[in-house]
Amino acid sequence: MEKLKELIGTFDVAYVENYKKVWIKAKLNKASDLLGVAQALKDEGLKSLVTVSPTDFPEENKFEMNYFFEDLLTRRNAWIKVDIPRELDRCEIDSLTPMFPGANWHEREAYSVFGVKFTGHPELEYFLISQDYYGKFPFRKGFDWKAHEANLIENMNTIFESFENEHVENEKRIGHAGSRTMLNWGPTHPASGPIRLKVEVDGEDIISVKPDIGYVWRALEHLVEEKDFIGALVALERICFMDNTNSMLCYAQAVEEIAGKEITPFAAMMRVVLGEIGRIVSHLMGMGGFFNNMGLMTLFMWALDVREYFLDVLEDYSGARIATASIEPGGVRYPLDVNLLDTLEKAIQKYEDTRTEFYTIFLKNPTMKMRAAKTGIITAEEVESFALCGIVARASGVKTDIRLDEPYAAYDKIDMDYMTAENGSAMNRFEVLFKEMDQSMSILKQAIADLRRGIESGEYDPQKDHMVKIPKKLPAGEAISRVEWSRGELMIHLVTQDTIPPEDQSAKRQPYHDGRAPA
Amino acid sequence: MELLFNIYVFPGTLFVLVWTVFVFWFFRKFMAYLHKRIGPHYNGPAGSLQTLYDLSKLLSKESITPHNVNPYLFSAIPILAPTIAILTVVLIPWTPELTIVDTSYGVLALVVLIGIEPFLLFLTGFGSNNKYSFLGGIRILTQMISMETSFFLSALSPALLFGTMNLIEITEANTWLTTLILLPGAILFFISILGVLEQPPFNIPDAEQEIVYGFYTEYSGTNYFLLKLAEFGEFLVVFAATITLFFGGYRGLFFDSFLCLFVKMLIMAMLMLAIRASTPRIRLNQMLAFAWSYLVPLSFLNMVWIVIARLYIVGGG
Repeated sequence: MEKLKELIGTFDVAYVENYKKVWIKAKLNKASDLLGVAQALKDEGLKSLVTVSPTDFPEENKFEMNYFFEDLLTRRNAWIKVDIPRELDRCEIDSLTPMFPGANWHEREAYSVFGVKFTGHPELEYFLISQDYYGKFPFRKGFDWKAHEANLIENMNTIFESFENEHVENEKRIGHAGSRTMLNWGPTHPASGPIRLKVEVDGEDIISVKPDIGYVWRALEHLVEEKDFIGALVALERICFMDNTNSMLCYAQAVEEIAGKEITPFAAMMRVVLGEIGRIVSHLMGMGGFFNNMGLMTLFMWALDVREYFLDVLEDYSGARIATASIEPGGVRYPLDVNLLDTLEKAIQKYEDTRTEFYTIFLKNPTMKMRAAKTGIITAEEVESFALCGIVARASGVKTDIRLDEPYAAYDKIDMDYMTAENGSAMNRFEVLFKEMDQSMSILKQAIADLRRGIESGEYDPQKDHMVKIPKKLPAGEAISRVEWSRGELMIHLVTQDTIPPEDQSAKRQPYHDGRAPA
Repeated sequence: MELLFNIYVFPGTLFVLVWTVFVFWFFRKFMAYLHKRIGPHYNGPAGSLQTLYDLSKLLSKESITPHNVNPYLFSAIPILAPTIAILTVVLIPWTPELTIVDTSYGVLALVVLIGIEPFLLFLTGFGSNNKYSFLGGIRILTQMISMETSFFLSALSPALLFGTMNLIEITEANTWLTTLILLPGAILFFISILGVLEQPPFNIPDAEQEIVYGFYTEYSGTNYFLLKLAEFGEFLVVFAATITLFFGGYRGLFFDSFLCLFVKMLIMAMLMLAIRASTPRIRLNQMLAFAWSYLVPLSFLNMVWIVIARLYIVGGG
C-alpha cells in the first residue's frame, strides 16, 4: 500500500491518503496526468478499472471525475479524482478505454448522461439512455425532468422512429441477396436480464452480436437524489429485485459512513442473514434461468419451489416477499422474532433435501455439459482487464469476493472461502453458482448459531439492538461502499451536500451477467 | 355405415380429436408432476376440460394472415398437415379386427406418411415470410434429412426380421424373443422419431429461446389449432407405429385389445415427457454430428444384427 502511495505521490497531486483498509485516495491537480497515473497503476498490478463516475458541482463550475482502480488479486485499490471544466464544449478528458477495455461502457455512460467527452475513445456513442434523452445529458444539474416528461408522446415517437430508421438502415446495408439477416434477440426481461442483442446472422452462423442494455434505464441516481436516504431505499432495492437486500445493504453502509455511525453487532449479523437469503433467492432464479435458455424448464420450477421457502422467511421478517425494504441506514428495519430462525432452518432443510436431485440431474447433465462446457469461455486475464467480478470472475479461477477482500457487516466472524472453478466456461459459472448456494447455506447456519448463542447469553437484544438512530440530515461528505451481491461486486459512490434532501450520486457496477450459456 | 363410423368416429376424426384433447391434458398434467407443479386444475375433474376450453378459444380467435405472404401457401399447409397426419391411422391395426387398409406395403406407407410431415412444416416456415419462421423451416429440413436415414433403417428392421411389410402380420408374429431382438432397433427408432417430431432434445426448429417459435411464429387462431392438431395426430400415429412395429401392437399379456395398445402408447408418451423434463435442447451442429456419426452407423449395425438374428436365432433361413 505504501508503495502505491509513493507511486501516486510522484505525480502532481493535491493529496494522497489512505482510505479504509484497502484503498488509496488521491486527487490529481492536472487532468493531463491521468493517462500517466493510469499507466503507472496498471504496471503496478491494478489492472481493473471498476467504474468511472463524474460528480457535478455546478456552483464551483466543475466536474469531479472519479476513477476506481482495483487489483482483484492482492486487495490494493486506488481511487483517483481529478477536476475538469463543466461547460459542454470544454468538459473533455483522456479516455482510458484503450488501456483498460473495461472502461468502455462506463465512459460511454458518463458521456451519455453527463456529456463528458472522452478523447481517444474508440466508439463514443450514446449508451444506456433511451433515444429521447440523446444529447440532453439528463444527470447534469439543471436538467428539467418535468419538462422532458411532459412530452411523453413525442419522446415515445422518437424512440419508435429510431427503431424504424435502424431497421431501414440494416435492410439497406445487408440487402436482400444472400442469406444474411439481422435478428433481434430481445429486449427481454426478467429471466435473461434486460438486454437486447442485435444478432447478425448468415443462415445459422452468427457473424456479430451487438448488445444493447438500454431498456430499463430508470435514472436511478436521479431518483435517489430526489429523496431522503430512507425514501431512496425504495429505488435502490429495485436495482435488481431478485437480490434486493444486498443493494440496500451497500447503500446503508455508505450513508452510515458519512453519518459516522456504527451499527450494533446484532444488526451486522442480521445483515449477513438477510444478505445471504437475498443471494440464495437470486441464485435459485439464476440456476433456473441457465437451463431455461437451453429449453429446459424443469430446474426453474424446482428452484422456484425451494425459493418459496426462503421468500417465506423474508415475508415473515418484513411482510414482503420480493421488495422487502428490510435493511436501512442504522441497522435492519425490524426487530427479530426468534421463531424466524426456525422458518429459516426449515428453508435450509428444504434445500438440502432437494440438493441431491439438483446435483445428479442438472449439474451432471451430459447434454448440458455438451452445450455449455466449451461455451463462453472467459480467461483470468480477461476478467482483470474487463474488471469482471462475482461468479464470472470466480468461475475463471480469480479469487475475488468482497465478503473476504473487504469484510463488511459481520462477515469477519464467518468462516468461508473463495468458491472458484477452473475454465471459465458457462458450465463453470453454473458450477460456481451451485457451490455458492452450498456456501450460503453454511454461512446461514453459522449466523443462526451465532444469533441463538448471542440471544441466549444476553449479548444481543433482538427487540432493541436492530437499529441505531441516524439523523435525517446528513453532513456533507463522500463515501464509497462495496458489497458482494449475487451478481458480483456492487459499488456505490455516495456524495452528500449540506442540504435537505441530501444530494446523492451513485455509481454502480455489475458484472456482465452470470452463468448463462450463449447458445 | 361401418365405413362412415370408421371415418368419423373410430379410428377417424373424432378419435383423433379426443386423443388430442386427452393427450394434451395428459402431457400437461404429467409434465406438471415432473415440474413439481399442479398443472390444469380448475376446469373439470383434475382440470381435464382445460384443453377443451383452450381448443374452443383457439377456434374462436382470429386467424391472422400477415400481408406480403402467399395466402394460399400460408393457409393450405394447416389443412394439409393434419390431413396427412391423420391419414396414417388407416394403416395401423388398432384392434385384432380393425385395420382399415390391410396392405402388404404397410411399413412402407407408414414410413412415407410419417416422413412427409416435416416437409409440410418446412413449408409453413417458408410461406410465413418471417425471418424466424424461415430459420425454423431451414432447421426442420436439416434435421429431417439427418434423422431420416436412421428412421427408415430402424423402421425396416421388423420387416426384415419377420420377412413381411404387413403390419398385422408383424403384430401377430411378435414374441418376447423378437421384442428383445428388436430392442436396439426400437431404441434407434425412438431417438429418430424424437428428431422427426421435433421433440426435446431435438426441438431445435421451434427453439423459443433462439428463434421465437420457429415455424409456428406467424400462426394464430384456427390455423395454429390445426397445426397443433397435426402435431398431436402425428404423436398418435408415431406412437402407434412404434408399438405396432416393435412391441406387439394391440397384443397384451392376458388379452388382445385396443386397451393394450393404448396403455403402451401412454407409457411411450411418459418416456418422451421424462426426456423432455430432464434434457436441455442440443445445438443444431451437435444434432448433425450426433445423427451422422452415431445414429446412422448404429442403424446400419442394427441391420446387420437383425440379419444375423434372422439367420441364426429366429431360424427363418
